[in-house]
Amino acid sequence: MTETGLDLGERQTVAARAVDITKVYGTGETAVHALAGVTASFPSGRFTAVMGPSGSGKSTLMHCLAGLDRTTSGQVWIGETELSQLNDRQLTLLRRHKVGFIFQAFNLLPTLNAAENIGLPLAIAGQKPDQAWYDKVIDAVGLRPRLRHRPAELSGGEQQRVAGARALVSRPTIIFADEPTGNLDSRSGAQMLGFMRRSVDEFGQTIVMVTHDPSAAAYADRVLFLADGRIVDEMADPTAERVLDYMKRLGA
Amino acid sequence: MWKVTLKGLAAHKLRLAMTALAIVLGVGFVAGTYVLTDTINKTFTDLFTQTTKGVDVAIRTKETFSVQGNPQRAPLPAALLDQVRGINGVRVAEGNVGGYAQFVGRSGKPVTTGGAPTLGVSVGSAPELQQALTLREGRLPAGPDDVAVDAATARKQGFHIGDRVKILFQGPPREFTVVGVLGFGQADNLAGATLAGFDLATAQQVLNRVGTYDEIDIVAASGVSPETLRDQVRAVVDPRYEVLTGTELAADQAKAVGQFTKFINYALLAFAFVALFVGSFIIVNTFSIILAQRTRELALLRCLGALRRQVLRSVLVEALIVGLIASVIGLGVGVAVAIGLKAVFKAVGADLPSTTLEIQPRTIVVALLVGVVVTVTASLLPALRATRVSPVAALQQEAVAPPARAGRRRTIIGALVTLAGVGLLLTGLFADQGNRLANVASGAVVIFLGVGILSPLVARPLARLLGWPFAHWAGEAGKLARDNAMRSPRRTASTAAALMIGLALVSLVTIFAASVKASVHKVLDQTIAADYILSGPSNGGGQGFSPEVVTRLSQQPEVDSATGVRINVFKLDGKTQQVAGVDPISYGRTVRTDTTSGSLSDLTSGGIAVRENTASDHGWKVGDTIVMEFPVGGTQAEPIRAIYEDNQLNGPFLLALPDYERHYADQLDTVALVKARSGVAPDVSRAAVDRVVADFPSVQVKDQAEYKQQQSQQIDQVLLLFYVLLALAVIIAVIGIINTLALSVLERIRELGLLRALGMTKRQLRAMVRWEAVIIAVLGAVLGLAVGGFFGWTLVRALHSQGITEFAVPIPTLVGFVVAAALAGVLAAVFPARRASKIDVLRAITTE
Repeated sequence: MTETGLDLGERQTVAARAVDITKVYGTGETAVHALAGVTASFPSGRFTAVMGPSGSGKSTLMHCLAGLDRTTSGQVWIGETELSQLNDRQLTLLRRHKVGFIFQAFNLLPTLNAAENIGLPLAIAGQKPDQAWYDKVIDAVGLRPRLRHRPAELSGGEQQRVAGARALVSRPTIIFADEPTGNLDSRSGAQMLGFMRRSVDEFGQTIVMVTHDPSAAAYADRVLFLADGRIVDEMADPTAERVLDYMKRLGA
Repeated sequence: MWKVTLKGLAAHKLRLAMTALAIVLGVGFVAGTYVLTDTINKTFTDLFTQTTKGVDVAIRTKETFSVQGNPQRAPLPAALLDQVRGINGVRVAEGNVGGYAQFVGRSGKPVTTGGAPTLGVSVGSAPELQQALTLREGRLPAGPDDVAVDAATARKQGFHIGDRVKILFQGPPREFTVVGVLGFGQADNLAGATLAGFDLATAQQVLNRVGTYDEIDIVAASGVSPETLRDQVRAVVDPRYEVLTGTELAADQAKAVGQFTKFINYALLAFAFVALFVGSFIIVNTFSIILAQRTRELALLRCLGALRRQVLRSVLVEALIVGLIASVIGLGVGVAVAIGLKAVFKAVGADLPSTTLEIQPRTIVVALLVGVVVTVTASLLPALRATRVSPVAALQQEAVAPPARAGRRRTIIGALVTLAGVGLLLTGLFADQGNRLANVASGAVVIFLGVGILSPLVARPLARLLGWPFAHWAGEAGKLARDNAMRSPRRTASTAAALMIGLALVSLVTIFAASVKASVHKVLDQTIAADYILSGPSNGGGQGFSPEVVTRLSQQPEVDSATGVRINVFKLDGKTQQVAGVDPISYGRTVRTDTTSGSLSDLTSGGIAVRENTASDHGWKVGDTIVMEFPVGGTQAEPIRAIYEDNQLNGPFLLALPDYERHYADQLDTVALVKARSGVAPDVSRAAVDRVVADFPSVQVKDQAEYKQQQSQQIDQVLLLFYVLLALAVIIAVIGIINTLALSVLERIRELGLLRALGMTKRQLRAMVRWEAVIIAVLGAVLGLAVGGFFGWTLVRALHSQGITEFAVPIPTLVGFVVAAALAGVLAAVFPARRASKIDVLRAITTE
């Protein structure tokens, strides 16, 4: 569970994989090729950032990887499961058990308090949380004193950490984070990213994060760069400066 | 998941409160109806238990006919009593009679009851058979001059022991001395009826029962059980007679009332159904809007692994809880409604005796079940739509409403449903097969659904059209109001659809009533040659009056001819038919009847005349003999003497008066027609008629104009009752408008905030919401008038052969409805508009 490093055998370590996937919206002349053949794998226990300018297809890629959207062609694997063969129910169960989400807009249920929001995926599955794991997650996000508060009573940073805990609590194979710091100030953002980093290092969690913030990407183990629906480059052990430089070149 | 549902419910309390209100009112109506009818039944059951007290066994003839729930029985011969007295185990046997007897009050006007009978009865002489009565004052009647009065009438009319009172009968009126005041156990009267008690001989004479009894009551010898005695008596008497124990008799009488209350029950439940049907549109709409607003939340649940089934279940559970809570409250409201309905009945003249309200377990079960089933069923569509929310929606910043489905599918489905409804409706109205009422009702429901499905297609253009004045004359607020009404056609349409149903039914009854009036007026103009029309008291429950009136009128020199019409029923091939008993000569002079063969005067020697279409249906011609079964006269073969053209007044059968007198027990004229001698001035002839009628205070004299007016008033009264009963559906529809607007305001907080930020005043904002409400309301009203007009037209066409020959559309009234709908819209907008104007500008444009 705690293996890191890129040199391990792929079969055991890949949490998710895309094989030549395309996604076309619309037909004929108005067709938009959001993904134009993407192949990528996301090793277990690694933190991958996906970057690219607006319209590069990074959100679409994430939706397809997470089983939220269907690909036009190609294959997506989560663990040992190929997604294109699954029906809606199977996809839902896959999300329930294998996938975690962190959204830009937090997306907490306003009617539930923090603890209830964190426990929501398990509640939906009709399961009881593993208490030891649950405590570990709560401590990791540092929210123990705020558990009884409703989202409206929490700061943005706290809300996003609740969302992070919610993603972790069901021990998914992979967590997808969509601009998780997009709605946060830099301090809260750093806290959130620190938490995500720790969950990779300490719990061996696999995370794929879509972002356009180079300093956020710097928390990742590697960065995939997307442009016009294709992966154009990949950068290991990124720093904010290197990413920023690259983005400037990509944008130019 | 349960927690999510419950917490969501708690968070949306206010939004759901309006939905709940629609159910509360509908369920309240249902529960109220049951409580009311159960209470009436209970009242009468108690009553008949009281009136049959002391009777061990009773004999009467078997019921052959029932006219509007009143059984008609042939009288018993006096000889039967002697036979019964000889039976072993009979201690006392007495005959009794009952019939029409109406007090004349101190003012000289007859005492009316508002629907309950005005009874004359014989008071038994055996103490055992007097137990039903409680002598409050004086003594029981014992001579030809004595009358006992029920305590309620005595109190209301100020009748005291020793007073002289005038009483109207089938024969000439007579005066009596009040000798006693009667109670019935604790009650002062019998469910609102007035009662005049006479000794047997007097009663037989004044009630037209000389030598006969209506019922023989028997007291068993000690040690003989009523059941044993019943069987013994049954074994001896002719099988034509019905022998019952006192308990059975009470139960049977209560059953007859039960059939009547069942009718009231169904009629009221029909209106409750309308209210619930309208309410279900509100539920569909509210749930749709609430769920649309929660799209991201639902998408999140789907992202987190909630199955479609779980989302569906969660919404349905929410509906279930709302429905249950609303139904419980509705049950409470129902009791209040029962009290209210009693008041409505009282207002239209049908006073019901007061008893404590009867709330049966069945009422509770039905009310809860109806409320929950309607709510859950109505939420099914929005719930299914909710399950189609894509999980991706959770990741999008703006909750994008799913685009309205392609119009073509909606057009096809809507058109098919509407056509199916029209088909059902027309089958019910015009084809004489199956359960016609059920076909008509389900046809109407299906048409409403069909139009409801189609209405989003026309909502946009119609809202554009109806909103035109606002957009051009109400400034920017008006323009935006029209845009808002147009932007979500489905929402606008389903809000308007609720009002459409209410107004369709309102305009249906309005058009129908106008058509009936027009038809009646036409008949009067074309067929009645008489100058005066005489009838019983307008609220006397269709009681007739003594034939003596016509006899005396005929003798007046100012009168050319006077004729009485007695209406009753007989059976033809087992089916109950209506017949009018007339004197052919005088009738022919006052009513224009064109015969196609034979002549009305041929009836002087007895026999019947038949309406042309009835005759051709049966293939009859003059000279044929038909077999008619009469309540008293039994089965008789009557020769057909004449066949006449339909004149909308005669009905299908006219029976010669001598035959009528032989075949029916009661001889009361329902209507009398009087033609003045030509050359006599109207005021002179009127004075002559009034002079005769003065002795018969229950008779009303109307000239043609007055009679028309009276007919119109009676129709208007019924119309008013319908309006009152339909009001609830309209109120619920208005609640629907309030609800939709309030939810729309919540949804558009940011947008409204932006408008405020850009300089729109609170007043403008309120105007904007108000005009939107008016556009929606008028849209509903216009659709309602269209559907209602169609219903009215088909109904009038269908009843053409029943005498509704004219189709009248009271345009001013209908325009009034549209105006009223617009005003209702203004009213509905008050709360949402205030809410919109209270939006905190800064928060609205900065949050999220």
